[in-house]
Amino acid sequence: MTDTEAMVQQEVNRLYKSHYGKMVSSLLYFSQNIDLESAEDLVQDAFASAITSWRENGIPNNPGGWIFKVCRNKALNKIKQGEKVRGFFENEDFDAIETKQSESPIDDQQLKLLFACAHPDFSPKVQVVITLKYVINLKVEAIAKILAMTIDGVDKLLLRARQKIRDEKILFTEPDLHFLKYRIPIVHKIIYLIFNEGYKSSWGKEIIREELCEDALLMNKALLESGVGNKETAALHAMMLFNAARFKARFGNNGELLDLEEQDRSLWNKEVILYASKFLSQSQGGEISSYHYEAAIAYLHCSAKNFKVTDWLSISKLYHQLLENNPNPFVEMNYAIALYYAGQKKKALDILNQLQQKPFLNQYYLLNAALGKINLLEGNDTKARSYFEKTLKQTDSLSEKEYIQKLIDKLK
Amino acid sequence: MKKFLFLIREDIQNQLEGSDEEFEAGIQEMTKWVEELAESGNYIGGEPLKSVGKYVSKDHVVSDGPFIEAKEVISGYLFIQAQNINQAASIAQSCPEVLNGNIVIEVRPIVSLEND
Repeated sequence: MTDTEAMVQQEVNRLYKSHYGKMVSSLLYFSQNIDLESAEDLVQDAFASAITSWRENGIPNNPGGWIFKVCRNKALNKIKQGEKVRGFFENEDFDAIETKQSESPIDDQQLKLLFACAHPDFSPKVQVVITLKYVINLKVEAIAKILAMTIDGVDKLLLRARQKIRDEKILFTEPDLHFLKYRIPIVHKIIYLIFNEGYKSSWGKEIIREELCEDALLMNKALLESGVGNKETAALHAMMLFNAARFKARFGNNGELLDLEEQDRSLWNKEVILYASKFLSQSQGGEISSYHYEAAIAYLHCSAKNFKVTDWLSISKLYHQLLENNPNPFVEMNYAIALYYAGQKKKALDILNQLQQKPFLNQYYLLNAALGKINLLEGNDTKARSYFEKTLKQTDSLSEKEYIQKLIDKLK
Repeated sequence: MKKFLFLIREDIQNQLEGSDEEFEAGIQEMTKWVEELAESGNYIGGEPLKSVGKYVSKDHVVSDGPFIEAKEVISGYLFIQAQNINQAASIAQSCPEVLNGNIVIEVRPIVSLEND
């Protein structure tokens, strides 16, 4: 690849990442007769034309506007002559287009798309997939990789979602205040789930994961700055930042997974922790949501000098309250682990053993890993080994397998 | 949030003839899915059911053995919460075993006795 080709490719990738969803939604707004699939095809075509043309003629002054204009022309060719179109593309300065259409409480086009994706008829998974596609502007291949799905699986989910998006004009309705208020909890959940996908340690050190966490933080920040966000948004922001501060310390020099106890706490980003604390105090004074509890738990971890002096008792109490909000066997497991380190060993083991009897949970690798670890600490090597061996069979992640193997090697 | 029961229906032949490995793989897939549902706050509970049971009616008791006349058996249930019936259906659609065509899920809203 020559320098020009590389530069063109880079610019096109950048624009795709920042504008794909906006262009698709603008095309839908442009004409009632373009369906979502055609709109996506047109936008993709326009990006392909950009690569060819820019390689020959250089990158234009207003690359976004250039692609937009090509989209418009392609759309005009596609739809019938004389059909009524809205004057969405009259101004070819792309940035001006963005600021033009603002009758709704939020100006940010990306944020509008996010609220559109938070449609209550979609499952959280579909909401996440369409947010990754139209707000974060990821290609299907990347989405499949992130969610550990097949490309075909993502396509199937998108196919069903597209139908509804088209029928109900979901991507280009102007949200009013009432609508926004009603959808905020769903938007929070989408951001939370996307952050979690980025944060899962099972993936090891992958750049794409870190970017996903950043995307979640950026969406949430836009929500806060738009004035539509509330105390829960601030709590969610604090929670994500506390976790993000520890991002890099979770892996060793060779990319191996390190648990909380093994991590070098001097690598935790103190500035980010301080910044997160600001949002935690900002989140006080209203109703306490599950994000508040999770943020408080993350705060307690971040402020502990080392693993042993961590305030496990408070953490266990927070988990207990989290459970009252939302009973969930997976959270119960974390509650039990916190109880164990807080010194309430018997109660902890009782809960974990009870969870082991539950359907799904007995097949859950993290539960078996936790039972293995606790038995290891208690000196029950035989039991520990059998739990760890179960865990090995239940995870496909290489970094997790290596981590468990390291624990097995510690056993006599 | 409203509550829903997912009745998991499965072809009786499939369930009787499937290998242990297939069964294990299915359980793993379902576990991952249930973990996702818990993360998103939709999961309440659920259990698998044996296909052998007793059929009880006013005049007779048919026992021991799947009900031959039925092509499908209910092989398990999930109890979930969702925004509305459409979201519940969308959640059921995202089940990997549904996508594979191995099971069918019947989504039934739980009747709420509170006034809302």
